[in-house]
Amino acid sequence: MKTSSKLIAILFSTVLAGCAATTTIDEYRPTGEPIELNAGEKVVVLGRRDAGHYETDREFIGCVGKRMTGADIGVLPEQVFIDAIYPWFEPRTAPKGLPRLKRLMQDASIKAEVDKLDVRYLVWLDGSTETLDSGGSISCAIGPGGGGCFGFAQWDKLSVYEAIVWDLQDLTEKGRLRVDSEGTSYLIGAVAPIPFLTPVKSDACSSLGNQLKGFFTTQLANPQ
Amino acid sequence: MIMIKMNRFAAIIILIILSGCSTSASVQLTNEFPQVLAKPKPLSATVVFEPSFATYVAKPNAKTMIDIGAAQVRLLRNAFAGLFSKLEFVSSREEITSENAMVIIPSVREVQVSTPSDNYLNVFEVWIKYNLDLETVDGEAIDSWFMPAYGKTPDAFMASKGGAIEEASIIALRDAGAKLMLDFYRIPAVNNWVAQELRRSQQLQATSSAPADSQTSPQQANSAEASK
Repeated sequence: MKTSSKLIAILFSTVLAGCAATTTIDEYRPTGEPIELNAGEKVVVLGRRDAGHYETDREFIGCVGKRMTGADIGVLPEQVFIDAIYPWFEPRTAPKGLPRLKRLMQDASIKAEVDKLDVRYLVWLDGSTETLDSGGSISCAIGPGGGGCFGFAQWDKLSVYEAIVWDLQDLTEKGRLRVDSEGTSYLIGAVAPIPFLTPVKSDACSSLGNQLKGFFTTQLANPQ
Repeated sequence: MIMIKMNRFAAIIILIILSGCSTSASVQLTNEFPQVLAKPKPLSATVVFEPSFATYVAKPNAKTMIDIGAAQVRLLRNAFAGLFSKLEFVSSREEITSENAMVIIPSVREVQVSTPSDNYLNVFEVWIKYNLDLETVDGEAIDSWFMPAYGKTPDAFMASKGGAIEEASIIALRDAGAKLMLDFYRIPAVNNWVAQELRRSQQLQATSSAPADSQTSPQQANSAEASK
């Protein structure tokens, strides 16, 4: 009896271990200079939505913003910023590079609105979560005597997101971060469907959010 | 008796589930749009929102209906306020009272919708194709401008089709505002009209200040004589 319990426990932990996502973060910064974020200054996290086949979803932007929010960092909600600067940060008009941002900030009314909102840094997030591969099959049936699901299914998910930090005062790029998170989820049909889901997107969000937070706060803690 | 009740209950449950899987969507846009951040030119315009435009209900396919009339009027009222300093909104050409204004008559050419089952992408898409007839107050055509707008939104898992199409439509309308602000004064015919209007207003100012000059000049002459 004890041996079978141990076996089940080992099997269960093996399956659960398979549900962990593998996350890699690459960081690039042009200089080692600290990022200044004075009291009252805010950061806004914006999603790129100009690609044709995917959309950087608002849920992910909100998740990263929530992760970054802390005692040192004030994060302005994306929609508040976009509405205040309407229509200059819509998918059609949002600056894709620094030269366009510089031209936008030359407009006195836009500059005044950005200053009014106390936004110092823009964090552009671009990416998506996609299902790469799936296999197995599961079928469910229901009848007068009851029902149930039988089979096994698995699918791989990959989250790739890039964050670019722009300084709205100096109109320069302060750094880039890229997160790749990959994992496999399983669904076992043993009368009731039992899911073992790998939180790929959630892992990408927490990794990116924490890294971005460190991007600002670490430098504040160790000024050169 | 209990058996009949159970059957009815099961039928209701199945109907509820099936209605959740329904692919038809009827959407009415009731949202507000943000004020545009732009300095308008010192020019006049009259925007004619014909009843067919103000109450426009798009039927891009047999299963989708989008009531965009009121929302597009709200959006264009707001967007044109960022382009012209003097604006008049009327519902027919006969109601125009402004002089020397550009008359703008918007109309919807077509609305298209694409869902994940159509495009095999994980997004809902909406295209709104506008046409702006631009004329002088006298009815002389300046241009007829085709203005397409596009909006897309991710396929929210378990969210309704109607909700996703509504969000994509709002994004498309906001895109129409962005397109208008970005490109309206880049239309060559509009650019020419603006140059003509600015020249005309400068000439008007010069002629209105000329009699004043001629009135003051004798006084100046008198004072000059007096000083002598």
